[in-house]
Amino acid sequence: MSYSCSSRRNSRDRQALRSPQVIILAVADTGVNSSNNINSQASLNANQSPTAAMKVKKGCNSTGVGVPATTEEELLGNTAITPEDVLGLQKITENYLCGPGQNVYSIDFTRFKIRDMETGTVLFEITKPPHTDKAGDKSAIDPNAGRFVRYQFTPAFLRLRQVGATVEFTVGDMPIENFRMIERHYFREKLLKSFDFEFGFCMPSSKNTCEHIYEFPPLSEDVMREMILHPYKTQSDSFYFVDNKLVMHNKADYSYSGGP
Amino acid sequence: MSECMQLTLCICRIAAYTCFRTLCCKGPPSPRPEYDLVCIGLTGSGKTSLLSRLCSEATDNIGPTTGFSIKAVPFQNAILNVKELGGADSIKKYWSRYYQGSQGVVFILDSASTDEDLEMARTELHSALQHPQLCTLPFLILANHQDKPAARTTQEIKKYFELEPLARGKSWILEGSSVDNMDAVKQSFTQLIELLEDKDQDTGRI
Repeated sequence: MSYSCSSRRNSRDRQALRSPQVIILAVADTGVNSSNNINSQASLNANQSPTAAMKVKKGCNSTGVGVPATTEEELLGNTAITPEDVLGLQKITENYLCGPGQNVYSIDFTRFKIRDMETGTVLFEITKPPHTDKAGDKSAIDPNAGRFVRYQFTPAFLRLRQVGATVEFTVGDMPIENFRMIERHYFREKLLKSFDFEFGFCMPSSKNTCEHIYEFPPLSEDVMREMILHPYKTQSDSFYFVDNKLVMHNKADYSYSGGP
Repeated sequence: MSECMQLTLCICRIAAYTCFRTLCCKGPPSPRPEYDLVCIGLTGSGKTSLLSRLCSEATDNIGPTTGFSIKAVPFQNAILNVKELGGADSIKKYWSRYYQGSQGVVFILDSASTDEDLEMARTELHSALQHPQLCTLPFLILANHQDKPAARTTQEIKKYFELEPLARGKSWILEGSSVDNMDAVKQSFTQLIELLEDKDQDTGRI
């Protein structure tokens, strides 16, 4: 897969939340058999937001299920954040709920792929380039680089019903007893879908891949139109837990208008 | 009274519309059932290659699996969420950590391996057949690499692995396989799906 890079920098003021390094990649269109002709582009940092899991608790809008609502402000005051805490969040967070230093298990996401389950067409695939940064360079890099991904899809993407999302990740020397991801997608302040995946046990020094099938939530024509007209107002928080404690928090936003 | 009439009419309209949509296939088809499987076997038996081919993925750059690899493998009547585990010694010891929640087992062996490796495969298969979390589940055993000249036949494998006595009372399928004949592999998996459906009905889960 060949790609061209251009980078854009946000103002320093917003650095705390958004990564300043947004690389735009042109992805080869593999959808030649698909009449949808879905052409997707993604702006990626070195890491990307993963979306697949071992055991899915069927995605639900947790707001209706007796989960007490929580706010970002409350959670930032806690010493440890649990899965139940984030299941109560009603909207995208302003801040990251943990620092990059909390990833003590050295979990690293190395590949991401999406395919349409109905046709088998690979819509998008990206592999993280090998590590090139040395210890000395870290001071110049935004600490949140690698935690944010910006996706650019065409409107046809919203018509998909089932996609298979594959993520590949490596684990450091320590085994992980119970790895779990909760990912919440919002359009403006409305929760579209919440995914809850239990990877379970991860062997030490392993490289693991996992594909999960995403059922798109039913979206009305009105909501779809709004999502297309308002790029990057569709946003997601991905929270990762080891033994029910938050260790990573990645963010993404999405455009469906077909262009940057 | 007229309110009641209106409500009834409304319900009739909705019912008629829903019937129309269902009959004319306007609505989305009902989703295929999903089954969670675990796929084990010694390193080099061909687990990753077979599963990748089932998903129409490229198999040029496949190396040993150094952890788990979970794939959603679509079939006409079901989706199989297969949790494939690496077969190297350092990984084998963790296999049982992944048995929980499985509804079926796929065991892949290299029919053309050395006698020593075949014995090791037998030990592992017997362990799996007797493991408390797997012993009641359907097993699909694939005697892979049938394309190799040194491959033992499925009859020989069945005898050597003592499947008739050992797996008595369990539901299992033994088939030969090779990446060169994926149609036959799909057929073997389809048989496994039938066993999974039967088991589902038995436990009254559907």
